[in-house]
Amino acid sequence: MGIKGLMKLIGDEAPSCVKEGEMKNYFGRKIAVDASMCLYQFLIAVRQDGAQLTNEAGEITSHLSGMFYRTVRMIENGLKPVYVFDGKPPEMKSHELKKRAEGREKAKDELEEAKETGTAQEIDKQERRLVKVTKDHVRDAKKVLELLGVPYVEALSNLIEHSSILSKDSLCFKTPVLLRRLTMPESRKLPVQELHYEKIMSVLGLTHAQFVDLCILMGCDYVPNIKGIGPKKAFELIKKHDNIETILQNIDLEKYKVVDDWQYKDARRLFVEPEVYKNIDPPKWKSPDIEGMIEFMCVKNGFNEERIRSGLKRLEKSKGKINQGRMDDFFKISKVVSTSKPTPKKDAKRKAGKQKGNTAKKLKR
Amino acid sequence: MFEAQLPRAQVLKQTMDAIKDLIKEAVWDVSSQGLSLQSMDSSHVSLVQVTLKTEGFELFRCDKNLALGVNMDTMQKLLKCANNDDNVKLTADDNGDLLTMAFESPNGEVTSEYEMKLMDLDIEQLGIPEQEYSCTIKMPSKEFQGICRDLQNIGENVRLTVVKGGVDFSAQGDIGHAKIHLTESATVDDEMDAITVDIQEPVNLNFALRYLNFFTKATPLSRQVTIQISPDVPMVVGYEIEGLGHVKYFLAPKIENEDDE
Repeated sequence: MGIKGLMKLIGDEAPSCVKEGEMKNYFGRKIAVDASMCLYQFLIAVRQDGAQLTNEAGEITSHLSGMFYRTVRMIENGLKPVYVFDGKPPEMKSHELKKRAEGREKAKDELEEAKETGTAQEIDKQERRLVKVTKDHVRDAKKVLELLGVPYVEALSNLIEHSSILSKDSLCFKTPVLLRRLTMPESRKLPVQELHYEKIMSVLGLTHAQFVDLCILMGCDYVPNIKGIGPKKAFELIKKHDNIETILQNIDLEKYKVVDDWQYKDARRLFVEPEVYKNIDPPKWKSPDIEGMIEFMCVKNGFNEERIRSGLKRLEKSKGKINQGRMDDFFKISKVVSTSKPTPKKDAKRKAGKQKGNTAKKLKR
Repeated sequence: MFEAQLPRAQVLKQTMDAIKDLIKEAVWDVSSQGLSLQSMDSSHVSLVQVTLKTEGFELFRCDKNLALGVNMDTMQKLLKCANNDDNVKLTADDNGDLLTMAFESPNGEVTSEYEMKLMDLDIEQLGIPEQEYSCTIKMPSKEFQGICRDLQNIGENVRLTVVKGGVDFSAQGDIGHAKIHLTESATVDDEMDAITVDIQEPVNLNFALRYLNFFTKATPLSRQVTIQISPDVPMVVGYEIEGLGHVKYFLAPKIENEDDE
């Protein structure tokens, strides 16, 4: 999911909009998490000796482990996660889903081939490509969340107004603040990246309509993009021609092949007026059901009881953090005091200044 | 050109001690009013606000408003090089990137000069509205420091319960429970040693001790601390610096009965 190359474009064109920080800085914040993306990640990445975790019956449990520990870590840091499961995908998305299914078929063939001729590494790689999130995985994941007392919703909803979303194409839905890498494994020590929609728009100099068209050009899940137009070219074109209609009139259609019946208008409509569920109840965070969790995770799915219990204990301990109020919820930011002088190489200078900041000269004494 | 001179370095040293554990870097606003600083800690739970007024300085000159970006640790370290009774003078050029701190011993025999590189910073400042608080408690600052230190052994939070004539500080933890009760002083010899409780309506709020224990680093600055609280707003812990200004801390309360069962 996501817009291809969008992060790179933002990084190149609007580096000042990417703020890095630690997970704990987001304590007390409601965070919407793309559950499907998480499940894919868990099924692919949570492995032991290259194989997915399984219970005694041989059913895969990688996603349960991932869901449990990652959610615990977020709550431990004082965050209030709400998981967002894909409802039924909008019809437009079938394009991407079809592509994925084809990819999977191909991987299957290649896996068979690899099994006969390839190395273990090759087999592993193809196996990972075969990963698919099934209804059962989703059901189990929801069960874990229920037992943890963490809310979830089906599909994007009016949650967007209050929280941050982890998927990149959510920028097109005007998510006010987007966090990336929030759920990266702790061991990788990557900073959380924070993106502010309004700021990105103002730095890139785009309107929301232009940004949506840009995303469609760059390649979204809904429709294929134009062959030969990459992120950079797409950005230039939008800057020059404002919208897709004008671009189509002005580019060499011989050189840039547009698919027949390109439904960019429908894709645009999905971005501008997403299918939103209105009037859902505000999410509620509850205490975990400890015994229920032990029953589900340990008895049914063979996880180590001691480790699950210690995870739940960490959850209990972190309660105080969730209840801590934030200063900026009480007082509004009135101004940003900046000491940096308006020089063209602002970012480069700032780095240099930070490094030198700690040295001082002792002249005489 | 900015110049400011104080007869004793001690007060500046104590001011830096009072804030450097809470914030890593901050911007000193320099204007004809004096020096001021406002910054949230990195977790955005608390805020510190410092004012050093022009009148409190021996000499104060400010031709143009300046914003000096400073690493707190560095400034504290350099100020530490001054003796408590040294005369101290701060100078900065209008477009420079240095803050100079010059110290002179009382007999004028030893002078030293430290130049500190300034930093480029963007600091978010909050607009804090003037407001009336439900309760204002004044007490000896050492007393408050002791309470916060002792209660931290018991739990992570302190519950402040203010009723007419007194205050309860209580903490709950795995090892047990603690309650410290202060009663308003009956007779007062020295106002600075008195405990006074000015109350409009009773208040009962929970605060993280971790931050209060950062705040009490300001204890050497003033014999008295002023605590202001109202339901559901940040508490204010203020230390007056006699004749010069104040250090004020704001702390967001714990939010109760929300999202919990």
